[in-house]
Amino acid sequence: MNKRLLAYIALAVILVCGIYAVSRHHNEGSLTHDGSYSNLKDLYEDPGNMDLSQVNGVADVIVQENLSKTMAANNVAAVVYDFRGFDTLGESFILLTAIAGSFIVLKSVAVGEKGSEKKEDA
Amino acid sequence: MKFKDRFREKHLVVKCGADMFLPFGLILGFYIIAFGTISPGGGFQGGVLVASTVLLLYLAYGFKVMAEAVKPEGLRKGEALGAIIYVLLGLMGIFAGANFCVNVIFDNGQVGDMISAGNITFMSYAVGFKVLTGIGFLLVLMLSLLAALDSERSGGDEKEVVENAGNDAAVSDASGEVAK
Repeated sequence: MNKRLLAYIALAVILVCGIYAVSRHHNEGSLTHDGSYSNLKDLYEDPGNMDLSQVNGVADVIVQENLSKTMAANNVAAVVYDFRGFDTLGESFILLTAIAGSFIVLKSVAVGEKGSEKKEDA
Repeated sequence: MKFKDRFREKHLVVKCGADMFLPFGLILGFYIIAFGTISPGGGFQGGVLVASTVLLLYLAYGFKVMAEAVKPEGLRKGEALGAIIYVLLGLMGIFAGANFCVNVIFDNGQVGDMISAGNITFMSYAVGFKVLTGIGFLLVLMLSLLAALDSERSGGDEKEVVENAGNDAAVSDASGEVAK
């Protein structure tokens, strides 16, 4: 019963923190690009001549300063391996963890079946 | 009888099709890894493409030939090696006096060269190597389980083959001897 009470308290604390964060974000506005200055109709009709002078935030950095910052012609590779390199590290370790777990499970299943087979033979 | 049919000799058309498409799959996968920074693609996608050739080998030649050809123990070690290389490339930024994963060697050559992006290119290669070895090892594991289940149900003739294969993938001390 104590554990269940503790879990409810923890959930309530997380809920209060989430409500506080959302309300504060709503009141103080977004810090990154919110799309308010980019004209999507112009971008759809004439993507080559879009006016990029008033775009702000992270999108501005990635679009306008990519070549001077990373010298990579592929913007997506620049984002994945440079701007968000730590995120890619985590993604690749997800794969490592998944393969280690399945290695343990499948190896134990195969060995157990072989052992039972030998017992049946004996 | 139904489960023994899987170990039957494969049809000639299947073998020839696998022989034809295997080099194209390998070349496409390694191309996507190598030119990930200057064209669409990257390490993850190219690695999965290269790893799919393991499945092609299994479909054409069966489990035993596939397990001898790809060497699962080497794949398992190669995945850890790729992760270590990625972390060391990320630590280059700290050794140069900046943050983790900062690109410190990017200013060499013109935009569009393979090496012009510096760290990004080598990190992409490391992730590609890690993904191709990891997904290949995962496929070998699951196919070894499938072969073990088949031998369990059919019993009899193929027991020797599948016991060797199970050692190869799971315990893998004997993989070098089997490969020889």
